[in-house]
Amino acid sequence: MAERKTIDARGAYCPGPLMELIAALKLSQVGDELEVLSSDKGSAADIPEWVEKVGHQMVGTTAHDGYWSVVIRKAK
Amino acid sequence: MAAKPLFIILCSGEREKLQMAAMIGSVAAVSDRPVELFVSMNAILAFEKDKSAEQRYHGGHFAKAFAAKGAPDPVDLLGQGKMLGEMKIWACTMVLDVQGWSMANLVDDVFDGEMGLTKFLSDAEDGELITL
Repeated sequence: MAERKTIDARGAYCPGPLMELIAALKLSQVGDELEVLSSDKGSAADIPEWVEKVGHQMVGTTAHDGYWSVVIRKAK
Repeated sequence: MAAKPLFIILCSGEREKLQMAAMIGSVAAVSDRPVELFVSMNAILAFEKDKSAEQRYHGGHFAKAFAAKGAPDPVDLLGQGKMLGEMKIWACTMVLDVQGWSMANLVDDVFDGEMGLTKFLSDAEDGELITL
């Protein structure tokens, strides 16, 4: 059964949030969703780019007060 | 189509260029692009074993800002890039010789070995080359 995990990378600068996401992806199953919380504006834009490039799925990005929530689904 | 391998020659010991090499290398490696990094000249000094961050890094405005704001440590970032992607890191044989160092003087778990510039440039003919 697919799971959802949250990675709180607030306070980390580029490419820290992306690297934390990738490390968590390695431990996840296909179909799992991962939510990255990032206060780094560049990472909020870069993570969707990376997800598209390597073939995972974007679920969505939500702006909060001072941080972003980026949710992806592991596709492979 | 597979991405062209990325070859990086890192010569500068300044934190800003170490940071950029680590960012480019690690992000490319985790984006399914093979990376090879050749560390030479003053850059090798940042990889000496048992140094504190204050001893390891120096530079200009952004070096100070990175330290103050806790930007990712370049040496740690390279280690993450190797662990999560396809990245090889080579120490320049020439500067090791001049410095009187061996691989034992360098941080653990970062370098794949030492290499001469001629071999690295030969390998780099198959990819794109960046020098910092």
